[in-house]
Order: sequence, then structure tokens, then C-alpha cells
Amino acid sequence: MFGIFMESWIIYRQYCGKGFLPIIFLAALIYLFFTEKDRWKRIVMVYVPLIIQVAFFIPVTRIVFVAAMDDGATYYRFLWMLPMGVIIAYAGCHLFEKHRRTGLVVMTAVVVLAGSLVYRSNLITRAENPYHIPQTVVEICDMIAPEKGEPRVRAAFPSELVYFVRQYNTNIMMPFGREMVEAQWNYYNAVYEVMEKPKTIDTRALIAATRETKCSYVILATGRSMTQDPEECGLKFMATVGKYRVYEDPEIIKAESK
Amino acid sequence: MILTIFRLIIWMVIIPFLMGLIPLRMLPQNRQTVAVTFITGYLFSFAVFEVIAIPCMIHIEYGSFHYACRIYGAAELLLAFAGLLQSIRCVREKIYRETPAAEVRRISGRTLRRKLEVIFPGECRLDAEDYLNPRRDVSLRKQRYSRESVAYWGIFVLIMLFQMYMAFTRASFDGDDAYYVTESLLAQQANVMNTILPYTGSSTSLDIRHALAVITMWAAFIAKAGGVHATIVSHTILPLLYIPMTYLVYIQIGRILFRKKHEMLPVFMVVISVIQMFGNTSIYTPETFFLTRTWQGKSLVSNLVIPLLFWLFLWISRNMSEKTEWKKLSAGQKLEQISPWILMGLVNMTSGICSSMGVILGTVLIGTYTIVMLIATRRFSVMLGAFCACIPNLVYVLIYLSIWI
Repeated sequence: MFGIFMESWIIYRQYCGKGFLPIIFLAALIYLFFTEKDRWKRIVMVYVPLIIQVAFFIPVTRIVFVAAMDDGATYYRFLWMLPMGVIIAYAGCHLFEKHRRTGLVVMTAVVVLAGSLVYRSNLITRAENPYHIPQTVVEICDMIAPEKGEPRVRAAFPSELVYFVRQYNTNIMMPFGREMVEAQWNYYNAVYEVMEKPKTIDTRALIAATRETKCSYVILATGRSMTQDPEECGLKFMATVGKYRVYEDPEIIKAESK
Repeated sequence: MILTIFRLIIWMVIIPFLMGLIPLRMLPQNRQTVAVTFITGYLFSFAVFEVIAIPCMIHIEYGSFHYACRIYGAAELLLAFAGLLQSIRCVREKIYRETPAAEVRRISGRTLRRKLEVIFPGECRLDAEDYLNPRRDVSLRKQRYSRESVAYWGIFVLIMLFQMYMAFTRASFDGDDAYYVTESLLAQQANVMNTILPYTGSSTSLDIRHALAVITMWAAFIAKAGGVHATIVSHTILPLLYIPMTYLVYIQIGRILFRKKHEMLPVFMVVISVIQMFGNTSIYTPETFFLTRTWQGKSLVSNLVIPLLFWLFLWISRNMSEKTEWKKLSAGQKLEQISPWILMGLVNMTSGICSSMGVILGTVLIGTYTIVMLIATRRFSVMLGAFCACIPNLVYVLIYLSIWI
């Protein structure tokens, strides 16, 4: 039981992350516990969040959650039931009720200092197009996508692009997608094994694998080290788009068009 | 372009809003506002989508999305029309009786205002005589704000617009989009509902863990109705809807919390909007989901569904604080008393279309609240209300298990 409690504690620490907002939330909860006079507001704003917060650390809660959801990795979502923002803001407004201007400045400063600006995340970048996916992917997909009425095509992309290809065009299939890139899933895929795992790609092995899965196109990063030039092994170079070289496989295209 | 924007406004703003006029009449007068109409309209619209999309997905093998779109589109139009007719009838009943017909027909600002006040009585602001009337509870009506408060409202709106601008112009990378957004695009481009593997394009059986969360199909419906690529709808257009809608819910929460200190409401909203921007203390917080994964079902659960439940808890608690005897209430007053529980049922249905996790979290939260209320009030009506509100969750779990087993 203590082990499960410690797991919950670690999840809580990860959830709290680098800022102090969860600590401010607890302080706000304690403040409201002692100062909120309205019984009905106390029930919703103090008692229910307090029970949820305590329940999170009780091992039985975690056992039941994991059994119900068949997934322990998402246990942190239990904490979503705590309305942290509402309670912090309400406690602040309660505290500075008679000094609104000062209160607003103090509350804003505390939140800014204790929190972390979402737009500073390195996962957020300026959008290159309305799809909010890399423009390189859009250009490659436009080049290889089948015309209307033609059968769908399959293309092997480097792992950093697989997230976006089918968000742009579902008529382009792939021998492997995101399921191979996420390490925790630990699947096997023949194309991924020869294309992404080795430092130097064995070109012949790659083309054998892409032909096995009927890939009409292969996209490779320009700086990628390879045992042979793909053109020497039967692929046809189409174009360079950004940092990627696009090849077509005439053998598969011919076989697919029959 | 203009036609696309027009179609999106019709399907994302006007139709849900008109649908919201139907459940609006059962609410207490002070809650019959434009904002609540919009919120209830969306809850109603999502509930209708769940009822139509899930059976289509389970029972129709080929072109299921096509059928779901046709049925849902027709249902939305019919319900929006019904909402409009109901409001027109309401205006006629109230105004035409009291005012000479010639004056009503005359198009003027005054008559238009009166008509709108009949449809949205909660928007009526207090007059000087309301303050002088000792029997009138002024805290139930919208009150005027001081200049300072208006400035705070301005700051809040600027922060919200900034967040919407950033959502429109900044791309946020999230691996889950390879699943959810592609599911929407597959529905739009291949007319299927969760039967093609989004990652690679191979055929697959129904993935029950994700399939019942049909919010991805709703995004695809908007894409199809608006004639826009589903990825653009998810990444660029939906945040422009979900961000202000979430704040509308927070305003409703604030209106109850600051019922007698309404000047604090804009301060509360400014702080809330700053917390949403600076709440990125880890990748797991609702605030991070709100501005980086706005379009995903789990973000809607943490940022829309949970605050909606808190709004309804506060509303129900307030009702409980007024010791009214059920037997002495008129039919209309009884409906007003049970209306938050009905809305809670709709919130649970919304939760179901967002994420299966939402159903669990919603039920746990309602259960916790009910137990606390039961201890505090010893009124078993709370249990009855909570049970009825959770019936959609029960049905959802039964469908889940029937497919899974």
C-alpha cells in the first residue's frame, strides 16, 4: 500500500511540475476553509476539492482507477477534478475584496511568478500554414498524393514526419506511423527496423522492405548516411523538398497501376 | 472564403444558439441570458450528436459518417427552427397582448429591445426603482458596472483575444493529433467512423476505447458542413470557439460566487485568464491542455466539462440554500428546481462524446458532491437528481461493455 501511495506522490509531483501554482492552490483551499462563511460555497469550493485531493493519495483510489481504465499512466487526470484556477482566483478575490486594484496586481504577479507561460513551451511554434503542420509535409504530400479517383498510395516517411502526413492527406498510407515512434509501445515493423534504427541505412535492405509493403515512395532526410545511393538500387529521384529527398519506386508504381 | 465563413458561422454559432432557446425556457429567469443560451445550445447539440453518431457508427458498415451527417444535420436544423418558433411565440404572447399591434410592428430600437428582453429576461439590467423596491432581490439581476470594472472587463477581453490570436497563429505539436485529427479527416475524406487505422491507413475493427468519444466525428461534421479541411477545423477554427465558450462557463461560475459583489466578477475573470496562460507548470495540467490541445476531447473534459459541473453544483447548492417546500411550488417552479439536474445530464452526454475518461471523472465528481450534499442537507432528492443526471453515463458504460466483451 505504501508503494502505491508513493507512486501517487510521484505522479502528483510530476503533475505539479516546475511551478508553485499547486502550492498556491493548497494555500487558497486552506484560506477558504477558515474564512468562507457561506455554507453552500464551502461545500463546492472547499469540501469537495479537499475530498478529491485526499482521495488521490489513497491507494484504493488508484487501484480502482487502474482497474476501471486499464491504464495507470493517466491517473494524473484524477487531479483534473480539482478546479485549481477557480479556487485560486476566488480565494484571491475574497482576500482582496476591499482593495480590488492592489489585489488584481498582487494576484496577477503571484500567478505570473508561480506559473509558467504556456507560449514559452518549445512545442509551440509559429504556424506555417492553416493546417498547423510543417510546410515540408504539405509540399511532399502534394507531390506524391494520388489524383481523384486513383487508388491510394503508400509512402515511407522518416519518423519525425509520420505524425503529420495523414493529418494532411489520408489517401497516403504509410508502412509505419506514430505507433512505432513512441518507444513505450515497443512494436515491430520491418521498414522501421531498417529505416530508422541503424545509424547507416542499408539501402538494399530498405528497398526490399519498402517493396514488401508496396511503398510507391520513399522519403529520406538529406543528411542520412546510406550504404548506397537509392538510385543505384532502382529508386528514381523526384525532388528535394526542404531537408528531405523524395524517391519513387518505378517497380511498385508499375505493379500498382496494373 | 466568405461562403465558408458564412457556413461555419451558421453551423457553429447560429444553429447551436437557436437550439439553446429550447431548454432555456425551463431555467429560472435570471439564467435566461445570451451566454447561457449558447452554453445550453452546445450541450444540447453535443447530446443530439451522441445519440445519432454512436448508433450510426455501430450499426452502419459502409458510409456510416455520411448517414450520421445527414441525420444530424436534419435534426439540428429542425431543432434550431423549433427554438426560433418557440421564441417568436413567446414574444407574441407577452408583447402583442400588452402593446398595440402598430407599435410592435414598427421597427425601432425600443421594440427590438423589448422583444429581446422577453426572450432573454436574464439580460434585463436593473433600473433605479429596482434598487428602491425592498422586496426585489437585486443580486438576481444583471447590474451595472463602475468605470473601473468596465476597464477590468476590457483587460479580460484583451487577454482572451490574445489567446485566440495565439491559437490561430501558433502551431502546437502533440503526438495524439496523429490519432484524433486524422480520425476526423478520415471521416471527411473516406466517410468512415473509426474503422481505418489513423496511423498507417490499414483497416481495423472498431477501437472501442476511443470510438465512443465521437467528438472527432463532430469536428469532421463541421468540416464537411463548412467545406473546410478537417485539420484546419481542429487546429485553427475550433480553438476560436472553445476558448470563449470556456470563459463563458467561468463567467457563470463567477456570477454565482460574486452574486452580491458583482464588481469582483471582472477581477475574477482577469485572474482566471492569467492562470490559463501561466498554468503550464507541467504538460499534464488542464491549463496546458487548454491552450496547446484545445481541440482534443480530453482538453474539453478538463476545461469545459469539469467547470460546467462546478457551475451546476454551485447553482444546485444555491437552490438548496433557499428552503422551499416542493409541494408548494408551481409546475414552472418545480421545473426551475430540476433544470440544473437536466443540464447535468446533458453535460454528462457531452463528457461522453469527449472522452471515456470524462464519463468516469464526471461520475466520480457528481458522486462526491452528492455524498457531501446528502450529509449536509439530509435531502434524498439530491441522490435522485444525481442518479437521473448520471443515467447517460450508465448507458454509455453499458454500450462500452457490450461492444468490448
